[in-house]
Amino acid sequence: MSLVERITTSADAKVWYDNIPIESLYTVGIAGEKFFRAIKDRGVIMGSVCPSCNLTYLPPMMYCERCLAELEEWVEVGTKGTVHTYTVVGVSLEGEPLEQPEILALIKVEGAHGGLVHRLGEVKPEDVEIGMPVEAVFKPKKGREGSILDIEHFKPV
Amino acid sequence: MAMRKVAVVGAGMTKFMRRAQETGRELAFQASRMALDSCEMTLDDIDAVALGTAPDAFDGLHMKGEYLSDGAGAWHKPYMRCYVGGGTGVFAAIQGWYHVASGLFDTCLVVCEEKMSSCMPHPQGAFLTIFDHTTERALKPNLIWIFALEMNRYMTMHGIEKKDIALVAVKNKRNALDHPCAQLAANITVEDVLNSEVLAWPVQRLDISPTSDGAVAIVMAAEHVAKRITDKPAWVRGVGWSLDTAYWTSRDLYYPKYVEYAARMAYDMAGITEPRKEIHVVEPYDPFDYKELHHLEGLLLADKGDAPRLTAEGVTARDGNMPVCPSGGMLGVGNPIAAAGLMKISEIFWQLRGEAGKRQVPGQPKTGLAQSWGDLMQVGCVMILGV
Repeated sequence: MSLVERITTSADAKVWYDNIPIESLYTVGIAGEKFFRAIKDRGVIMGSVCPSCNLTYLPPMMYCERCLAELEEWVEVGTKGTVHTYTVVGVSLEGEPLEQPEILALIKVEGAHGGLVHRLGEVKPEDVEIGMPVEAVFKPKKGREGSILDIEHFKPV
Repeated sequence: MAMRKVAVVGAGMTKFMRRAQETGRELAFQASRMALDSCEMTLDDIDAVALGTAPDAFDGLHMKGEYLSDGAGAWHKPYMRCYVGGGTGVFAAIQGWYHVASGLFDTCLVVCEEKMSSCMPHPQGAFLTIFDHTTERALKPNLIWIFALEMNRYMTMHGIEKKDIALVAVKNKRNALDHPCAQLAANITVEDVLNSEVLAWPVQRLDISPTSDGAVAIVMAAEHVAKRITDKPAWVRGVGWSLDTAYWTSRDLYYPKYVEYAARMAYDMAGITEPRKEIHVVEPYDPFDYKELHHLEGLLLADKGDAPRLTAEGVTARDGNMPVCPSGGMLGVGNPIAAAGLMKISEIFWQLRGEAGKRQVPGQPKTGLAQSWGDLMQVGCVMILGV
Protein backbone atom coordinates (compact mmCIF):
# COMPACT_ATOMS: atom_id res chain seq x y z
CA MET A 1 0.00 0.00 0.00
CA SER A 2 1.65 3.19 -1.09
CA LEU A 3 1.66 6.48 0.74
CA VAL A 4 -0.98 7.99 -1.53
CA GLU A 5 -3.40 5.12 -0.97
CA ARG A 6 -3.27 5.60 2.77
CA ILE A 7 -3.11 9.35 2.93
CA THR A 8 -4.73 11.32 0.15
CA THR A 9 -2.95 14.59 0.98
CA SER A 10 0.78 14.08 1.34
CA ALA A 11 0.97 17.04 3.73
CA ASP A 12 -0.97 14.89 6.22
CA ALA A 13 2.01 12.56 6.56
CA LYS A 14 4.81 13.51 8.88
CA VAL A 15 7.74 14.30 6.62
CA TRP A 16 10.69 16.67 6.85
CA TYR A 17 13.79 17.70 5.00
CA ASP A 18 17.35 17.39 6.24
CA ASN A 19 20.81 16.82 4.78
CA ILE A 20 24.23 15.34 5.42
CA PRO A 21 26.22 18.46 6.26
CA ILE A 22 29.56 17.87 4.59
CA GLU A 23 31.62 19.31 1.80
CA SER A 24 34.68 17.73 0.22
CA LEU A 25 38.18 19.08 -0.24
CA TYR A 26 39.96 17.08 -2.92
CA THR A 27 43.62 16.77 -3.85
CA VAL A 28 44.55 15.90 -7.43
CA GLY A 29 47.25 13.56 -6.16
CA ILE A 30 50.81 12.88 -7.21
CA ALA A 31 50.05 12.11 -10.87
CA GLY A 32 47.28 14.70 -11.08
CA GLU A 33 49.65 17.41 -9.89
CA LYS A 34 51.97 16.82 -12.88
CA PHE A 35 49.11 16.43 -15.34
CA PHE A 36 47.31 19.65 -14.40
CA ARG A 37 50.49 21.71 -14.03
CA ALA A 38 51.46 20.75 -17.58
CA ILE A 39 48.06 21.86 -18.85
CA LYS A 40 48.09 25.10 -16.86
CA ASP A 41 51.70 26.16 -17.41
CA ARG A 42 52.48 24.74 -20.83
CA GLY A 43 49.21 23.89 -22.53
CA VAL A 44 50.26 20.29 -23.13
CA ILE A 45 48.69 16.95 -22.28
CA MET A 46 50.94 14.45 -20.50
CA GLY A 47 50.59 10.73 -20.08
CA SER A 48 52.51 8.32 -17.87
CA VAL A 49 54.23 5.29 -19.35
CA CYS A 50 54.52 1.70 -18.15
CA PRO A 51 57.43 0.31 -20.18
CA SER A 52 56.85 -3.29 -19.12
CA CYS A 53 53.16 -3.30 -20.06
CA ASN A 54 53.79 -1.02 -23.04
CA LEU A 55 50.99 1.36 -22.07
CA THR A 56 50.68 5.14 -21.88
CA TYR A 57 48.09 6.16 -19.34
CA LEU A 58 45.76 9.06 -20.05
CA PRO A 59 44.61 10.44 -17.67
CA PRO A 60 48.07 9.71 -16.28
CA MET A 61 48.41 7.55 -13.18
CA MET A 62 51.30 7.24 -10.74
CA TYR A 63 51.12 3.44 -11.04
CA CYS A 64 50.29 0.84 -13.65
CA GLU A 65 47.01 -0.81 -12.78
CA ARG A 66 48.08 -4.00 -14.54
CA CYS A 67 51.41 -4.65 -12.80
CA LEU A 68 51.35 -2.10 -9.94
CA ALA A 69 54.71 -0.64 -10.96
CA GLU A 70 55.32 2.96 -9.98
CA LEU A 71 55.43 4.97 -13.21
CA GLU A 72 58.42 7.27 -13.53
CA GLU A 73 58.34 8.00 -17.26
CA TRP A 74 56.13 10.81 -18.56
CA VAL A 75 55.53 11.86 -22.16
CA GLU A 76 53.56 14.49 -24.01
CA VAL A 77 50.78 12.67 -25.81
CA GLY A 78 49.94 15.56 -28.09
CA THR A 79 46.69 17.47 -28.19
CA LYS A 80 45.07 15.62 -31.09
CA GLY A 81 42.78 12.63 -31.06
CA THR A 82 39.69 11.08 -32.54
CA VAL A 83 36.06 10.94 -31.44
CA HIS A 84 35.60 7.41 -30.12
CA THR A 85 31.92 7.98 -29.31
CA TYR A 86 29.72 10.98 -28.48
CA THR A 87 26.32 12.14 -27.32
CA VAL A 88 24.30 15.34 -27.77
CA VAL A 89 22.79 16.44 -24.47
CA GLY A 90 19.34 17.97 -24.96
CA VAL A 91 18.12 18.62 -21.41
CA SER A 92 19.76 19.92 -18.27
CA LEU A 93 20.04 17.90 -15.04
CA GLU A 94 16.87 19.69 -13.92
CA GLY A 95 15.09 18.41 -17.01
CA GLU A 96 14.92 21.77 -18.80
CA PRO A 97 15.58 21.81 -22.55
CA LEU A 98 19.05 23.26 -23.29
CA GLU A 99 19.02 26.25 -25.60
CA GLN A 100 22.45 25.24 -26.86
CA PRO A 101 22.70 21.44 -26.97
CA GLU A 102 26.01 20.23 -25.54
CA ILE A 103 28.13 17.66 -27.36
CA LEU A 104 30.09 15.34 -25.05
CA ALA A 105 32.61 12.93 -26.48
CA LEU A 106 35.09 10.26 -25.46
CA ILE A 107 38.25 11.32 -27.22
CA LYS A 108 41.02 8.81 -27.80
CA VAL A 109 44.26 10.72 -27.88
CA GLU A 110 47.07 9.65 -30.22
CA GLY A 111 49.94 8.11 -28.36
CA ALA A 112 47.91 6.95 -25.35
CA HIS A 113 45.79 3.90 -24.71
CA GLY A 114 43.30 5.92 -22.69
CA GLY A 115 41.55 9.14 -23.48
CA LEU A 116 39.56 12.05 -22.13
CA VAL A 117 35.88 12.77 -21.85
CA HIS A 118 35.31 16.35 -22.95
CA ARG A 119 33.07 18.75 -24.81
CA LEU A 120 33.19 19.22 -28.56
CA GLY A 121 33.04 22.81 -29.80
CA GLU A 122 33.15 24.81 -33.02
CA VAL A 123 31.04 22.10 -34.66
CA LYS A 124 27.31 21.49 -35.16
CA PRO A 125 25.84 18.32 -33.62
CA GLU A 126 24.76 17.06 -37.03
CA ASP A 127 28.32 17.33 -38.34
CA VAL A 128 29.91 15.18 -35.60
CA GLU A 129 30.98 11.67 -36.57
CA ILE A 130 32.62 8.83 -34.74
CA GLY A 131 36.22 8.63 -35.95
CA MET A 132 36.40 12.37 -36.57
CA PRO A 133 39.84 13.89 -35.84
CA VAL A 134 39.77 16.61 -33.18
CA GLU A 135 42.21 18.71 -31.18
CA ALA A 136 42.20 20.39 -27.79
CA VAL A 137 41.48 24.12 -27.51
CA PHE A 138 43.02 25.57 -24.35
CA LYS A 139 41.84 28.62 -22.46
CA PRO A 140 44.19 31.60 -22.67
CA LYS A 141 47.05 30.98 -20.23
CA LYS A 142 45.95 33.80 -17.90
CA GLY A 143 42.59 32.17 -17.26
CA ARG A 144 43.84 28.65 -16.53
CA GLU A 145 43.38 27.24 -13.04
CA GLY A 146 44.86 23.74 -13.23
CA SER A 147 41.50 22.16 -14.03
CA ILE A 148 40.25 19.85 -16.76
CA LEU A 149 38.19 22.89 -17.85
CA ASP A 150 41.48 24.65 -18.79
CA ILE A 151 40.77 22.72 -21.98
CA GLU A 152 37.73 24.61 -23.28
CA HIS A 153 36.72 21.89 -25.69
CA PHE A 154 38.00 19.76 -28.56
CA LYS A 155 37.35 21.04 -32.07
CA PRO A 156 37.45 19.34 -35.46
CA VAL A 157 40.89 19.44 -37.05
CA MET B 1 34.25 -27.60 8.50
CA ALA B 2 37.15 -28.35 6.19
CA MET B 3 39.03 -25.10 5.97
CA ARG B 4 42.55 -24.63 4.70
CA LYS B 5 45.36 -23.10 6.71
CA VAL B 6 45.97 -19.47 5.78
CA ALA B 7 48.93 -17.25 6.60
CA VAL B 8 49.77 -13.58 6.42
CA VAL B 9 52.99 -13.45 4.41
CA GLY B 10 53.50 -9.74 3.71
CA ALA B 11 52.46 -6.29 4.90
CA GLY B 12 52.95 -2.64 4.01
CA MET B 13 51.62 0.70 5.14
CA THR B 14 51.83 4.37 4.24
CA LYS B 15 52.46 7.08 6.75
CA PHE B 16 49.33 8.10 8.59
CA MET B 17 48.92 11.87 8.32
CA ARG B 18 46.53 14.73 8.67
CA ARG B 19 46.28 15.47 4.96
CA ALA B 20 47.95 13.47 2.22
CA GLN B 21 48.68 14.94 -1.18
CA GLU B 22 48.08 11.49 -2.66
CA THR B 23 44.60 10.58 -3.81
CA GLY B 24 42.93 7.66 -2.09
CA ARG B 25 43.78 5.29 -4.92
CA GLU B 26 47.41 6.45 -4.82
CA LEU B 27 47.53 5.69 -1.09
CA ALA B 28 46.02 2.26 -1.79
CA PHE B 29 48.67 1.68 -4.46
CA GLN B 30 51.54 2.63 -2.16
CA ALA B 31 50.42 0.24 0.57
CA SER B 32 49.72 -2.56 -1.94
CA ARG B 33 53.10 -2.14 -3.60
CA MET B 34 54.90 -2.26 -0.24
CA ALA B 35 52.97 -5.35 0.85
CA LEU B 36 53.84 -7.19 -2.38
CA ASP B 37 57.48 -6.08 -2.21
CA SER B 38 57.75 -7.21 1.40
CA CYS B 39 57.20 -10.83 0.32
CA GLU B 40 58.74 -10.50 -3.16
CA MET B 41 55.45 -11.19 -4.91
CA THR B 42 54.03 -9.60 -8.05
CA LEU B 43 50.46 -8.77 -8.90
CA ASP B 44 50.41 -11.87 -11.13
CA ASP B 45 50.80 -13.97 -7.98
CA ILE B 46 47.59 -12.55 -6.50
CA ASP B 47 44.36 -14.47 -7.14
CA ALA B 48 41.83 -12.09 -5.52
CA VAL B 49 41.63 -8.71 -3.82
CA ALA B 50 39.67 -7.81 -0.69
CA LEU B 51 39.17 -4.13 0.01
CA GLY B 52 38.05 -2.40 3.18
CA THR B 53 37.13 1.25 3.36
CA ALA B 54 34.71 3.23 5.51
CA PRO B 55 31.97 5.64 4.37
CA ASP B 56 32.10 6.97 0.83
CA ALA B 57 31.43 10.39 2.36
CA PHE B 58 34.96 10.50 3.81
CA ASP B 59 36.68 10.56 0.44
CA GLY B 60 33.75 12.44 -1.10
CA LEU B 61 33.34 9.72 -3.74
CA HIS B 62 30.41 7.41 -4.06
CA MET B 63 31.28 3.90 -5.25
CA LYS B 64 34.57 4.38 -3.43
CA GLY B 65 35.31 0.66 -3.60
CA GLU B 66 35.28 0.82 -7.38
CA TYR B 67 37.31 4.03 -7.38
CA LEU B 68 40.01 2.41 -5.25
CA SER B 69 40.05 -0.90 -7.12
CA ASP B 70 42.93 -0.23 -9.51
CA GLY B 71 45.20 1.15 -6.78
CA ALA B 72 44.43 -2.00 -4.82
CA GLY B 73 45.56 -4.18 -7.72
CA ALA B 74 42.10 -5.49 -8.60
CA TRP B 75 42.35 -5.11 -12.38
CA HIS B 76 40.86 -8.24 -13.97
CA LYS B 77 40.64 -9.99 -10.59
CA PRO B 78 37.81 -11.15 -8.34
CA TYR B 79 37.29 -8.18 -6.03
CA MET B 80 35.01 -7.33 -3.14
CA ARG B 81 34.71 -4.39 -0.78
CA CYS B 82 33.51 -4.86 2.75
CA TYR B 83 32.39 -2.22 5.18
CA VAL B 84 31.51 -2.61 8.83
CA GLY B 85 32.34 0.91 9.99
CA GLY B 86 35.31 1.09 12.33
CA GLY B 87 35.43 -2.70 12.37
CA THR B 88 36.32 -2.76 8.67
CA GLY B 89 40.11 -3.14 8.99
CA VAL B 90 40.05 -6.48 10.79
CA PHE B 91 36.95 -7.60 8.93
CA ALA B 92 38.69 -7.04 5.57
CA ALA B 93 41.42 -9.43 6.74
CA ILE B 94 38.74 -11.92 7.80
CA GLN B 95 37.29 -11.56 4.32
CA GLY B 96 40.71 -12.25 2.82
CA TRP B 97 41.04 -15.23 5.13
CA TYR B 98 37.81 -16.90 4.06
CA HIS B 99 38.56 -16.28 0.39
CA VAL B 100 41.67 -18.43 0.89
CA ALA B 101 40.49 -20.79 3.66
CA SER B 102 37.51 -21.79 1.52
CA GLY B 103 39.81 -23.08 -1.18
CA LEU B 104 38.49 -20.61 -3.73
CA PHE B 105 41.80 -18.73 -4.01
CA ASP B 106 45.40 -19.48 -3.08
CA THR B 107 46.35 -15.86 -2.48
CA CYS B 108 44.50 -12.67 -1.57
CA LEU B 109 45.72 -9.09 -1.31
CA VAL B 110 43.84 -7.25 1.44
CA VAL B 111 43.88 -3.45 1.17
CA CYS B 112 42.37 -0.83 3.48
CA GLU B 113 42.30 2.89 2.70
CA GLU B 114 40.85 6.03 4.18
CA LYS B 115 41.24 9.65 3.21
CA MET B 116 39.35 11.49 5.88
CA SER B 117 40.88 14.90 5.19
CA SER B 118 38.60 15.26 2.15
CA CYS B 119 35.60 15.46 4.44
CA MET B 120 34.94 19.08 5.43
CA PRO B 121 34.60 20.76 7.80
CA HIS B 122 35.05 17.50 9.72
CA PRO B 123 34.31 13.79 9.14
CA GLN B 124 31.89 14.09 12.08
CA GLY B 125 29.52 15.60 9.55
CA ALA B 126 29.18 12.21 7.87
CA PHE B 127 28.40 10.56 11.20
CA LEU B 128 25.54 12.90 12.07
CA THR B 129 23.22 10.82 9.94
CA ILE B 130 24.05 7.41 11.44
CA PHE B 131 21.58 8.02 14.25
CA ASP B 132 17.90 7.18 14.05
CA HIS B 133 16.42 10.04 12.10
CA THR B 134 13.04 9.89 13.83
CA THR B 135 13.93 9.56 17.51
CA GLU B 136 17.47 10.86 17.88
CA ARG B 137 18.67 13.15 15.15
CA ALA B 138 16.62 16.13 16.26
CA LEU B 139 18.82 16.18 19.39
CA LYS B 140 21.90 16.57 17.17
CA PRO B 141 23.88 13.65 18.61
CA ASN B 142 27.44 13.10 17.41
CA LEU B 143 29.98 10.39 17.96
CA ILE B 144 31.74 12.11 20.83
CA TRP B 145 28.43 12.37 22.65
CA ILE B 146 27.77 8.70 22.57
CA PHE B 147 31.32 7.76 23.48
CA ALA B 148 30.95 10.11 26.43
CA LEU B 149 27.79 8.28 27.50
CA GLU B 150 29.51 4.92 27.14
CA MET B 151 32.70 6.06 28.90
CA ASN B 152 30.75 7.55 31.80
CA ARG B 153 28.78 4.33 32.20
CA TYR B 154 32.00 2.30 32.16
CA MET B 155 33.70 4.57 34.70
CA THR B 156 30.69 4.69 37.01
CA MET B 157 29.97 0.95 37.00
CA HIS B 158 33.54 0.18 38.08
CA GLY B 159 34.48 3.30 40.01
CA ILE B 160 37.23 4.15 37.54
CA GLU B 161 38.74 7.62 37.54
CA LYS B 162 39.75 9.60 34.48
CA LYS B 163 43.38 9.60 35.50
CA ASP B 164 43.36 5.78 35.35
CA ILE B 165 42.10 5.94 31.79
CA ALA B 166 44.46 8.74 30.74
CA LEU B 167 47.38 6.34 31.25
CA VAL B 168 46.34 4.58 28.05
CA ALA B 169 46.71 7.78 25.99
CA VAL B 170 50.10 8.41 27.61
CA LYS B 171 51.29 4.85 26.89
CA ASN B 172 50.08 4.64 23.31
CA LYS B 173 51.30 8.06 22.19
CA ARG B 174 54.68 7.23 23.70
CA ASN B 175 54.80 3.83 21.98
CA ALA B 176 54.09 5.61 18.71
CA LEU B 177 57.36 7.56 19.02
CA ASP B 178 59.00 4.38 17.69
CA HIS B 179 56.64 4.01 14.72
CA PRO B 180 57.94 5.55 11.47
CA CYS B 181 54.39 6.01 10.16
CA ALA B 182 52.93 7.69 13.25
CA GLN B 183 50.93 10.89 13.11
CA LEU B 184 50.45 11.80 16.79
CA ALA B 185 53.39 10.30 18.64
CA ALA B 186 54.18 12.32 21.75
CA ASN B 187 55.53 12.27 25.25
CA ILE B 188 52.58 13.49 27.27
CA THR B 189 51.57 13.16 30.90
CA VAL B 190 48.36 12.20 32.65
CA GLU B 191 48.03 15.87 33.62
CA ASP B 192 48.18 16.89 29.95
CA VAL B 193 45.22 14.61 29.25
CA LEU B 194 43.27 15.83 32.27
CA ASN B 195 43.94 19.46 31.36
CA SER B 196 43.00 19.09 27.70
CA GLU B 197 39.79 20.61 26.39
CA VAL B 198 36.59 18.93 27.56
CA LEU B 199 34.62 18.01 24.44
CA ALA B 200 31.76 16.14 26.10
CA TRP B 201 32.45 15.03 29.65
CA PRO B 202 34.24 12.72 30.33
CA VAL B 203 35.77 12.83 26.84
CA GLN B 204 38.63 15.32 26.51
CA ARG B 205 40.71 16.13 23.47
CA LEU B 206 43.69 13.94 24.38
CA ASP B 207 41.41 10.96 25.01
CA ILE B 208 40.73 10.78 21.27
CA SER B 209 42.59 9.55 18.19
CA PRO B 210 42.94 11.96 15.26
CA THR B 211 41.35 11.86 11.82
CA SER B 212 43.89 10.63 9.30
CA ASP B 213 44.73 9.75 5.73
CA GLY B 214 46.49 6.45 5.07
CA ALA B 215 46.44 2.94 3.70
CA VAL B 216 47.62 -0.52 4.77
CA ALA B 217 47.82 -3.79 2.82
CA ILE B 218 48.62 -7.39 3.67
CA VAL B 219 49.13 -10.51 1.55
CA MET B 220 47.40 -13.72 2.63
CA ALA B 221 48.24 -17.14 1.22
CA ALA B 222 47.21 -20.77 1.52
CA GLU B 223 49.62 -23.12 3.31
CA HIS B 224 51.38 -24.57 0.29
CA VAL B 225 51.95 -21.11 -1.19
CA ALA B 226 52.87 -19.47 2.12
CA LYS B 227 55.58 -22.04 2.81
CA ARG B 228 57.10 -21.35 -0.59
CA ILE B 229 57.08 -17.59 -0.06
CA THR B 230 58.49 -17.31 3.43
CA ASP B 231 59.95 -19.33 6.24
CA LYS B 232 58.11 -17.08 8.70
CA PRO B 233 54.40 -17.27 7.83
CA ALA B 234 52.07 -15.81 10.46
CA TRP B 235 49.21 -18.31 10.53
CA VAL B 236 45.66 -17.19 11.01
CA ARG B 237 44.69 -19.30 14.00
CA GLY B 238 41.26 -17.89 14.64
CA VAL B 239 38.76 -15.29 13.48
CA GLY B 240 35.55 -14.05 15.00
CA TRP B 241 33.02 -11.34 14.57
CA SER B 242 29.72 -10.51 16.18
CA LEU B 243 27.05 -7.85 16.08
CA ASP B 244 24.95 -6.47 18.92
CA THR B 245 21.61 -4.68 18.54
CA ALA B 246 21.72 -1.48 16.51
CA TYR B 247 19.60 0.20 19.20
CA TRP B 248 22.29 1.53 21.47
CA THR B 249 19.57 2.35 23.99
CA SER B 250 19.11 -1.42 24.40
CA ARG B 251 22.75 -2.11 25.29
CA ASP B 252 24.21 -1.62 28.76
CA LEU B 253 27.29 0.09 27.27
CA TYR B 254 29.60 -0.61 30.22
CA TYR B 255 30.66 -3.97 28.72
CA PRO B 256 31.05 -4.90 25.01
CA LYS B 257 29.32 -8.29 24.97
CA TYR B 258 29.62 -8.45 21.17
CA VAL B 259 33.44 -8.25 21.48
CA GLU B 260 33.30 -11.17 23.90
CA TYR B 261 31.28 -13.23 21.43
CA ALA B 262 33.70 -12.38 18.62
CA ALA B 263 36.65 -13.28 20.86
CA ARG B 264 35.09 -16.57 21.96
CA MET B 265 34.54 -17.52 18.32
CA ALA B 266 38.20 -16.79 17.55
CA TYR B 267 39.52 -18.52 20.69
CA ASP B 268 37.45 -21.64 19.93
CA MET B 269 38.78 -21.78 16.40
CA ALA B 270 42.34 -21.33 17.66
CA GLY B 271 41.88 -23.90 20.44
CA ILE B 272 42.76 -21.24 23.00
CA THR B 273 41.32 -21.99 26.43
CA GLU B 274 43.36 -19.60 28.56
CA PRO B 275 43.67 -16.42 26.54
CA ARG B 276 45.48 -14.49 29.26
CA LYS B 277 48.31 -17.01 29.11
CA GLU B 278 48.17 -17.85 25.44
CA ILE B 279 47.91 -14.39 23.87
CA HIS B 280 51.34 -12.73 24.03
CA VAL B 281 50.72 -9.41 22.31
CA VAL B 282 47.48 -7.52 21.74
CA GLU B 283 46.32 -4.75 19.43
CA PRO B 284 42.80 -3.88 20.57
CA TYR B 285 40.91 -1.04 18.91
CA ASP B 286 41.74 2.21 20.69
CA PRO B 287 40.08 5.20 18.99
CA PHE B 288 39.52 6.49 22.54
CA ASP B 289 41.72 5.65 25.51
CA TYR B 290 38.90 3.99 27.49
CA LYS B 291 38.11 1.76 24.49
CA GLU B 292 41.42 -0.08 24.87
CA LEU B 293 40.38 -0.98 28.42
CA HIS B 294 36.79 -1.74 27.45
CA HIS B 295 38.01 -4.05 24.69
CA LEU B 296 40.62 -5.85 26.81
CA GLU B 297 37.76 -6.79 29.12
CA GLY B 298 35.52 -7.83 26.23
CA LEU B 299 38.38 -9.93 24.86
CA LEU B 300 38.50 -11.70 28.26
CA LEU B 301 42.10 -10.54 28.67
CA ALA B 302 41.17 -8.61 31.82
CA ASP B 303 38.42 -9.00 34.41
CA LYS B 304 35.55 -6.53 34.10
CA GLY B 305 36.72 -3.18 35.42
CA ASP B 306 40.27 -4.44 35.97
CA ALA B 307 41.98 -3.28 32.77
CA PRO B 308 42.91 0.12 34.28
CA ARG B 309 44.83 -1.67 37.06
CA LEU B 310 46.76 -3.72 34.49
CA THR B 311 47.66 -0.49 32.75
CA ALA B 312 48.72 1.26 35.95
CA GLU B 313 50.89 -1.72 36.93
CA GLY B 314 52.64 -1.76 33.57
CA VAL B 315 51.29 -5.16 32.51
CA THR B 316 50.18 -3.65 29.18
CA ALA B 317 53.42 -1.70 28.58
CA ARG B 318 55.58 -2.77 25.66
CA ASP B 319 57.86 -4.62 28.05
CA GLY B 320 55.02 -5.81 30.30
CA ASN B 321 53.63 -9.31 30.62
CA MET B 322 50.89 -8.60 28.09
CA PRO B 323 51.95 -5.77 25.75
CA VAL B 324 48.93 -3.85 24.46
CA CYS B 325 49.15 -1.56 21.43
CA PRO B 326 52.95 -1.71 21.14
CA SER B 327 52.47 0.01 17.77
CA GLY B 328 51.19 3.15 19.45
CA GLY B 329 47.65 2.30 18.49
CA MET B 330 45.23 4.66 16.88
CA LEU B 331 45.82 7.20 19.64
CA GLY B 332 49.44 7.50 18.56
CA VAL B 333 49.82 6.16 15.02
CA GLY B 334 46.57 7.66 13.77
CA ASN B 335 43.10 6.60 12.77
CA PRO B 336 42.37 6.34 9.05
CA ILE B 337 39.40 4.16 9.99
CA ALA B 338 39.65 0.98 7.91
CA ALA B 339 43.43 1.29 7.50
CA ALA B 340 43.85 1.64 11.28
CA GLY B 341 42.24 -1.76 11.84
CA LEU B 342 44.47 -3.43 9.27
CA MET B 343 47.47 -1.64 10.79
CA LYS B 344 46.74 -3.66 13.93
CA ILE B 345 46.94 -6.94 12.00
CA SER B 346 50.18 -5.74 10.39
CA GLU B 347 51.64 -4.88 13.78
CA ILE B 348 50.87 -8.37 15.11
CA PHE B 349 52.43 -9.80 11.91
CA TRP B 350 55.62 -7.79 12.43
CA GLN B 351 55.76 -8.52 16.17
CA LEU B 352 55.40 -12.28 15.66
CA ARG B 353 58.11 -12.27 13.02
CA GLY B 354 60.43 -10.20 15.18
CA GLU B 355 60.40 -7.42 12.60
CA ALA B 356 58.90 -4.59 14.66
CA GLY B 357 62.22 -2.81 15.12
CA LYS B 358 62.24 -0.42 18.06
CA ARG B 359 58.65 -1.42 18.79
CA GLN B 360 59.53 -5.10 19.21
CA VAL B 361 58.10 -6.59 22.38
CA PRO B 362 60.53 -8.84 24.27
CA GLY B 363 60.22 -12.61 24.64
CA GLN B 364 59.59 -13.71 21.05
CA PRO B 365 55.78 -13.69 21.13
CA LYS B 366 54.18 -16.70 19.48
CA THR B 367 50.54 -15.64 19.42
CA GLY B 368 48.95 -12.23 18.97
CA LEU B 369 45.47 -10.79 18.66
CA ALA B 370 44.11 -7.83 16.72
CA GLN B 371 40.62 -6.47 17.24
CA SER B 372 38.54 -3.74 15.68
CA TRP B 373 35.19 -2.27 16.59
CA GLY B 374 32.65 -0.21 14.76
CA ASP B 375 29.44 -0.13 12.78
CA LEU B 376 26.94 1.58 15.10
CA MET B 377 29.36 0.98 17.99
CA GLN B 378 28.19 -2.64 18.17
CA VAL B 379 30.40 -4.82 15.97
CA GLY B 380 33.49 -6.61 17.18
CA CYS B 381 36.02 -8.23 14.81
CA VAL B 382 38.92 -10.38 16.02
CA MET B 383 41.83 -12.12 14.33
CA ILE B 384 44.43 -14.27 16.09
CA LEU B 385 47.78 -14.89 14.40
CA GLY B 386 50.41 -17.37 15.48
CA VAL B 387 53.89 -18.52 14.49
